[in-house]
Amino acid sequence: MRLPLRGRIAIVTASAGLVLALLLPAASATAADPLILRTGSTQTVSGLNPWQVVYVVDFEIMTLNYDTLVGFGPNVDPVPGFAESWTKSADGHTWTFKIRPGMKWSDGQPATSEDARWTIQYVLDAVKKGQTLGAGYLEPYLTAAGVTAVSAPDPQTLVVTTNLNNPLLLQSYVPILPAHIWSKIDPKVAATTYPNNAPVVGTGPYQVVEYKPGQFVRLQRNPYYWGQQGAEDQIVITTFKNDDTMVQALKTGELDYARDVPATQFDQLKSAGGPITAVEGVSNTFYELAFNCYNKPIPGGGASTLAVQDPAFRDALGYAIDKQDIVNKVFQGHAQVGSTQVTPFQAGWHVEPTDVRPFDIEMAKSKLDAAGYPLNASGQRLDKQQKPIVLRLSWPGDPSEAKAAQLIVAWFGQLGIKVNATASDEAKLGQQILPPEAGGKAQFDMFIWDWVGDPDPTSLLKVLTTKEIGASSDSLWSNADYDALYNKQLAETDDAARHQEVGQMQQLFYDQAPYHILYYPSQLDAYRTDHFGGWRNQPTANGTPLFQFGSFNYTYLTNAQAAVASPSASAPSASSAPSAEASQAVVSTPAPVASQAPAPGDTTSSNSSPLLLLGGLALVVIAVVGILVIRRGRASAEEE
Amino acid sequence: MSGRYLLAKIGQAIITIGLLIVLNFVLFRMMPGSPDRVLGRNPNVTAEAIQATRERWGLDKPVIPDQLVAYVASIAQGDLGYSFVYRGASVADVLADRIWPTVILFGLGELIAIVVGVSLGAYTGWRRGGPIDHIGNGASLILYATPYFLIGMVLLLVFAVGLGWFPTYGMTTVGEVYSSPVNQLADYLSHLALPLATVALGLIGQYSIVMRSSIVDTLGEEYITTAKAKGIQDVSVLRQHALPNAMLPMATLIAINLGYVIAGAITVEVVFNWPGLGTLTVDALAARDYPVLQGIFLLLSVSVVFANLIADVMYQFLDPRVKA
Repeated sequence: MRLPLRGRIAIVTASAGLVLALLLPAASATAADPLILRTGSTQTVSGLNPWQVVYVVDFEIMTLNYDTLVGFGPNVDPVPGFAESWTKSADGHTWTFKIRPGMKWSDGQPATSEDARWTIQYVLDAVKKGQTLGAGYLEPYLTAAGVTAVSAPDPQTLVVTTNLNNPLLLQSYVPILPAHIWSKIDPKVAATTYPNNAPVVGTGPYQVVEYKPGQFVRLQRNPYYWGQQGAEDQIVITTFKNDDTMVQALKTGELDYARDVPATQFDQLKSAGGPITAVEGVSNTFYELAFNCYNKPIPGGGASTLAVQDPAFRDALGYAIDKQDIVNKVFQGHAQVGSTQVTPFQAGWHVEPTDVRPFDIEMAKSKLDAAGYPLNASGQRLDKQQKPIVLRLSWPGDPSEAKAAQLIVAWFGQLGIKVNATASDEAKLGQQILPPEAGGKAQFDMFIWDWVGDPDPTSLLKVLTTKEIGASSDSLWSNADYDALYNKQLAETDDAARHQEVGQMQQLFYDQAPYHILYYPSQLDAYRTDHFGGWRNQPTANGTPLFQFGSFNYTYLTNAQAAVASPSASAPSASSAPSAEASQAVVSTPAPVASQAPAPGDTTSSNSSPLLLLGGLALVVIAVVGILVIRRGRASAEEE
Repeated sequence: MSGRYLLAKIGQAIITIGLLIVLNFVLFRMMPGSPDRVLGRNPNVTAEAIQATRERWGLDKPVIPDQLVAYVASIAQGDLGYSFVYRGASVADVLADRIWPTVILFGLGELIAIVVGVSLGAYTGWRRGGPIDHIGNGASLILYATPYFLIGMVLLLVFAVGLGWFPTYGMTTVGEVYSSPVNQLADYLSHLALPLATVALGLIGQYSIVMRSSIVDTLGEEYITTAKAKGIQDVSVLRQHALPNAMLPMATLIAINLGYVIAGAITVEVVFNWPGLGTLTVDALAARDYPVLQGIFLLLSVSVVFANLIADVMYQFLDPRVKA
């Protein structure tokens, strides 16, 4: 390339000029932007179809898009949702709901009892045919309540008939869908492959307007929402592949709320204080050490020893697990020692068992001896078939499970029981533990896994019943007394009697120990108080603001950067929620931050400084290249 | 260069791709675990629901020959199937969404790395033994040895969190209303800066070292001595005589590196939450989303075969000694 010198200088000057011209408008102020609440979690959204909800983040998006018939109040108590009020007949088998008048879907169409009737009927039709709707997480709420029929005598009245007398209908997490849209979809695909693309139509406070699979969901305010309007115009829920990056984003202010902060980062955030509040919520999850309790022989599979089927053996092992040590070492104390299959979140139903096992290796050894599992000469524990006991232990890949497994290997080693521990993943482990009823060989001895619960304990009590072997039961435990108690409490009409039955189930479970419940990990979240205020926990005393039940907490948020930053939003027609409790729930009173820029969309102001930096860099690069180009031209001119 | 040679090479490439399609399929099905098992942690799931899902995904038929034949037939028609995880979305859609961020990130990264790496390598090779060589070579070795995610996290902590010059995650600021296209471009650029720097730094080390040794090799050749003896300036000797010959190994290296794009992409994209093929692969692996995994690796295999084909053909032009 042999351009004359003048040509080269001209090109260099022109490119520098172009960069400068591009920079100038960018340095100017931008227009007012919508106020955006940015939340992050490490879960990937399954999609926008409500029947496909699996993860907590899916449920969160569902309750933002849609109302449930009955809402979830500050303490997960029933409050008005799609229905304004309700009454129950004397025998408890007929519920009459009054649907709020004047409600509109986010596309402007009127929302009436017909929509609720259509939705519930859709579920009933599927249940009658024995089908599972979508991922199968939603229709059990109606079957557990025993719903048999639904009718809408007038646009403001809904009548639901049940064959059980329990309050579970008020906790049903089923979204009310717009009949005018969903009735036109082929029922075969409505719950499976129908994408329910944005913009979603719902009666909830915010609807999805943009969805990038695996990346984020953006929701926009519902202008027709019947309840209180939150300060935020839009909500963006981002999926983070790496929770470290999520915490860093929270620190720089690019994120307002982070769910599932790692325990190590949590302590750091809590002590740092400032505009970031770290909140430790009570757990609705338990992690268990599960045993292969399948009591029939499986050719070519099954447990490696009959010992794991013996409740006395499992009980003895329970004395060799130091649960407090696990909580300290694995969670830095951010967890509770495990006991029963009813989580601390379900506080009203949790009953501590009598004779809780202390950590005592010597007692474990003597109990093993007494149960018929002596040590042989080389220090190995023998089972009743005179074989040394070697147990396999696996887990689906959670780092906390891995650490707990390490500790268990060491403790059981002291008893003379060798444990072979291998990491796995959900799909592989799920396949491995299948019983013959599901086409598998149940090739495992022990594993560590977790279960997540509902406000009501029924779902987690169920996984230990005989009926669930081949479906959700992973311990493959079968106990007739437990099954009988389960059925009894499900049909129980008297609260006190039900409480007693659930308590008995917990004691039986603890004594027989198909699982040793290891810990209830706390829900560790963190959020900023300098962008938004009015954060409330759910439950009020010991919960977290978001990713719980229902979406009312989004509507209480206020703009912390506005001049008037009063957090005292009154609860929307929540007649059952005492307002004194509500004002105590405001965990952060945002001090008006005078130093912040007044424009709500202050992400743009932080964009202009790197832009100018980039522009400056570009100019420098052009200058350097320009000099080199010009010099090279001179040099080759000299050569020739 | 003969057309027959070119046709033969293309024929080889097609056969390779055919074998890869079959291998692709078989390898993923050999992985333990099944996608429907991920659904099994629902306390309310029934055995019928899982069976229905298996049927819908075609998993209940025997792997060989039914599923394999169905797969090959659909690939021949250009249908990559439907994702298990992103229910209802076709694999082609899922990939199309995520391919451009990775191409931009790694394409630009490679370009920058080639330009800077080659220049740095050439200069340090030319001035071997000097202070620039020691510093340059040392820095290149450190960068080559450092894994991508470590470079990424250091850059993140220093420039995004510490100094606040760049955003910490994502490709754009979601929901942002841009007052002009320049603002939008500026937003993209500021999100791109750190991941791009990570990729570029990671590759510069590698290219610089290879280039340096290549130049040192070339400088020992007799034609270089002749050129210097003729009185040609040093800079010209480097640019016109040494560099073209030293570039040959680089061409091979660049084609080979294409195969490691996904591996690099996974770590960099996870650190910066960059919505590309890397993060898609991580998700698909965990959920055993066979169609998406097969689609990604088919894409990758075809690119690698294609890139090596191009490199093969390019050699004809780069090096006149190579005869068809």
